[in-house]
Amino acid sequence: MSADTAGPETLGSLSTEPEQQDPNSQQAKEISGKSPLRIALGRLARDKIAVICAVVVLFFVLCAVFAGPICHLFGVSLETPLASERVDGLNQGLPKPSMGPPNGPFTWDHPMGVAPRTGEDNLAYWLYGCRVSLTIATTATIFASLVGVVVGLLAGFLGGAVDKVLSFFIDLFLTIPFLLAALTIAPIINDRYNLSDNYSTIQKTALIMVLSIFGWMGTARLIRGEVITLREREFVQAARVMGMPTGRILFKELLPNLAAPIIISISLMLPTFVALEAGLAFLGIGVTDGVSWGQMILKGTNLTFFREYPQYLWQPLLGIVALVLSLNLLGDAVRDALDPKTRR
Amino acid sequence: MKRNKPLALVAGAALLTLAACGGGSSDDGGSNGGGKEREFGDQTGGTKDAERQGPAADVEGATAGGTITVYLPGDPGPDSLDPTGGWSVTGNSIQQALTSRSLTQYVRDNETGDPVLVPDLATDLGTPNDDFTEWTFTIRDDATWEDGQPVTADEVAFGICRSLDSDAFPSGPGTEYSKTYFEGAADYKGPYTGKDPKCEKWSGISVDGQDITIKMAKPFPDMDYWGAFMAMGPAPLGNASKPPNYGNKPLSNGPYKVDSYKPNEELVLVKNDQWAADSDPGRHQYADEFVFKFNQDQAKVDEIMLSDNSDSQTAISTGLGSDKYNDANGQLGDRLVQQTSQCVSTLTPDYTKITDINVRKALAYAYPYEDVWIAGGEVPGVTRIPANSVMPPGMAGKKEFQVDGEQITYDPEKAKALLEEAGVEMPYPITMVYYEVDPLAVATQEQITKGFEASGFKVKAIPVQDSPYNIWLDPDNKVNKTLNLRGVNWCSDWPAGSTMIPPLLKTGAVYNTAQFSESSVDDEMDNIATMPLEDQAGAWGDLDEKIMTEYFPIIPTAFRNDLFVFGSKVGNPTGDGSIGAPNYKDVYVMQ
Repeated sequence: MSADTAGPETLGSLSTEPEQQDPNSQQAKEISGKSPLRIALGRLARDKIAVICAVVVLFFVLCAVFAGPICHLFGVSLETPLASERVDGLNQGLPKPSMGPPNGPFTWDHPMGVAPRTGEDNLAYWLYGCRVSLTIATTATIFASLVGVVVGLLAGFLGGAVDKVLSFFIDLFLTIPFLLAALTIAPIINDRYNLSDNYSTIQKTALIMVLSIFGWMGTARLIRGEVITLREREFVQAARVMGMPTGRILFKELLPNLAAPIIISISLMLPTFVALEAGLAFLGIGVTDGVSWGQMILKGTNLTFFREYPQYLWQPLLGIVALVLSLNLLGDAVRDALDPKTRR
Repeated sequence: MKRNKPLALVAGAALLTLAACGGGSSDDGGSNGGGKEREFGDQTGGTKDAERQGPAADVEGATAGGTITVYLPGDPGPDSLDPTGGWSVTGNSIQQALTSRSLTQYVRDNETGDPVLVPDLATDLGTPNDDFTEWTFTIRDDATWEDGQPVTADEVAFGICRSLDSDAFPSGPGTEYSKTYFEGAADYKGPYTGKDPKCEKWSGISVDGQDITIKMAKPFPDMDYWGAFMAMGPAPLGNASKPPNYGNKPLSNGPYKVDSYKPNEELVLVKNDQWAADSDPGRHQYADEFVFKFNQDQAKVDEIMLSDNSDSQTAISTGLGSDKYNDANGQLGDRLVQQTSQCVSTLTPDYTKITDINVRKALAYAYPYEDVWIAGGEVPGVTRIPANSVMPPGMAGKKEFQVDGEQITYDPEKAKALLEEAGVEMPYPITMVYYEVDPLAVATQEQITKGFEASGFKVKAIPVQDSPYNIWLDPDNKVNKTLNLRGVNWCSDWPAGSTMIPPLLKTGAVYNTAQFSESSVDDEMDNIATMPLEDQAGAWGDLDEKIMTEYFPIIPTAFRNDLFVFGSKVGNPTGDGSIGAPNYKDVYVMQ
């Protein structure tokens, strides 16, 4: 987790002057009157990979948002069935033939089959697992980037003692091993809150906090670096001379110029958190109630099940791979689109 | 004694009798070839042989040398190796077979497979007086510690004295037996808590030369069986055996000694060259080394054992996942050992909170036995069968009665009717714990919740990351205080009802997690101990029936069988019927 989600080397540096362009050229006429973001969006729309990835991401977002209605549509639910109704205890706990693969033909009652041993419906668990993944990753990304941006802005712009203190904290958090912290916090949360009725919500909140606490440093460093170069530029100097309050300079003058690095760091943080959430659930920390891709993978890694019923492992695995891959590629494409120096 | 494995808490049962080859469907790929049919068997009490002398008879074809690795899937193993504190199937089976000797011991009769009680450190099985209130054991003079010093009668007496210290060994077996039966034990706090390091203030034991005489507070005809516990063995005098440090590396007097011990991870035992085969009527010293690996992943171990590679050829696994049962049964033949042990899995409704017998019975009807059990990775009919009472099948005196005339099975309607009869508010609240770290335990809890909620209960399942036993047995635990349903898996300490019923149902017993307390039942338990020996077994059976029909304080969910897998180069693959573990005493590595 201490790895930067986005580093300066992957970004177009904003300190370089844009190349001079002939104001009368065809290209210049096309882009005149368009904001930089508008131009970037146009570029993005022409990027085939970006469009495909965006569609895939949109698919997952729709799955997550409409998990309930989709389940209803297929007539499946998260509800635990009596195991003996759906799986065969004398045949290695595999689903009965009437439940679909691996022992029977495909059935619309359970489009993705049922889980060995418990008979839980895979489609419902997959959809709600998608929701858990995306909710946790998105929330953690929002928190982490908010903290990162604010800390980066303050440290970069104010400099001096404030910069020293904030940088110290950035370094401090970078030294704490993320996995170790997550492993330590899980039993503490359990011990403190296991009597609560909202245990699973508290568990997820704690997970979001852990992810955000250990995820903001990369963004903070990045923004700080950008701010240090920006604050010496003429428009900032001018604003200072005019006596603008610091807050106004930070948020009205500097922030709009930082849109690109912020968007990029967010777009790369999101897939990292999706993968981390699944990884933690696999280890049995984080989400433990079973509704999570990571936990589904944990159950599917049983070698007998993999041999007899490989779909059971492939379903959550493909979910994670497709989501993380498309988020990453989309992030790259956004980076390319926002970089004024990119030429295609 | 308790079962360590937290998973075992979820034991359920099923009505199916297994035809292993059949499987459930015929089109499952035919991976389950010619396995033999296995059925749930009874474990009888076995016999005694007071004359047996060392050395133990050679196992046919046995060769010396090699290392045996024992995988214990999902089993954290003992917390401490102190012989006095050991009261778990895992710890006692290992230590009593390999490192820690006691007054008596069991050996396996190779023809019948039944355990035989034979002498160990004592030269015979002890001599009681007429009414079993005084037992005399003569300690053999040729047994030695791993440092070459002889094991003296004084050391044995001191070891026995330690078992009276229930503060130093709160979950040791002495709390149940030594404290109850030995004279003056109730008032004696023990060598450590009582600040009596030489055990001089307890008068219940006397040493005369090689003879140890123990006086009983009440008749104790089973002292020879109790002597087979390592708690009834020697301990070095003075500070050398002070708890808790002694538990990290106890001094061995058996054929193997502790080389290294990491709790919850690994225990390595190596040959003890000071052990003399002539002094020991039951143990062998074939392998050079035993390596016990605790807390293993079941799926991984199953793969290792079935692959028959060089690692697994000399390995033993103490468990087999249900998903591998068909494969293993077909491939392994005799190397898959199904060992019956006198064990029962129970749910224990808190007697002080759930006071109506109908509610307790409703719980029994609401428990989805087969489902719980499939979700928990057991094989119905092979590793679990439905239970009718606390005393396990095969135990002398066991009665084949049914509380309600027929076997209790999952029946939500009947449960609801019982709740209505009890006149309690529905849904009736149930609070229990489950071990959230293990997906199997989570899955079984979901099944239990499902069954209970379909039957008019409302379940609050509290996730814990500690062994549930640690919660249930700790009266000050804040989680424990909220619970009204707990559970215990219990195995007999020796083949008598006195090791099943009192430890689970006597007022104040450590593992009485039901908090059951009826003075009439307590009195009856005390009474049985004073009866003529031949009547006792029957009396325990009667009491078992009386408790279950009148009070139903405990819900027996299953009688248990264990499956052990032996590598292809491990000789003499057998189980130890006295304790429900692999027969470590007689295994060897084929050369």
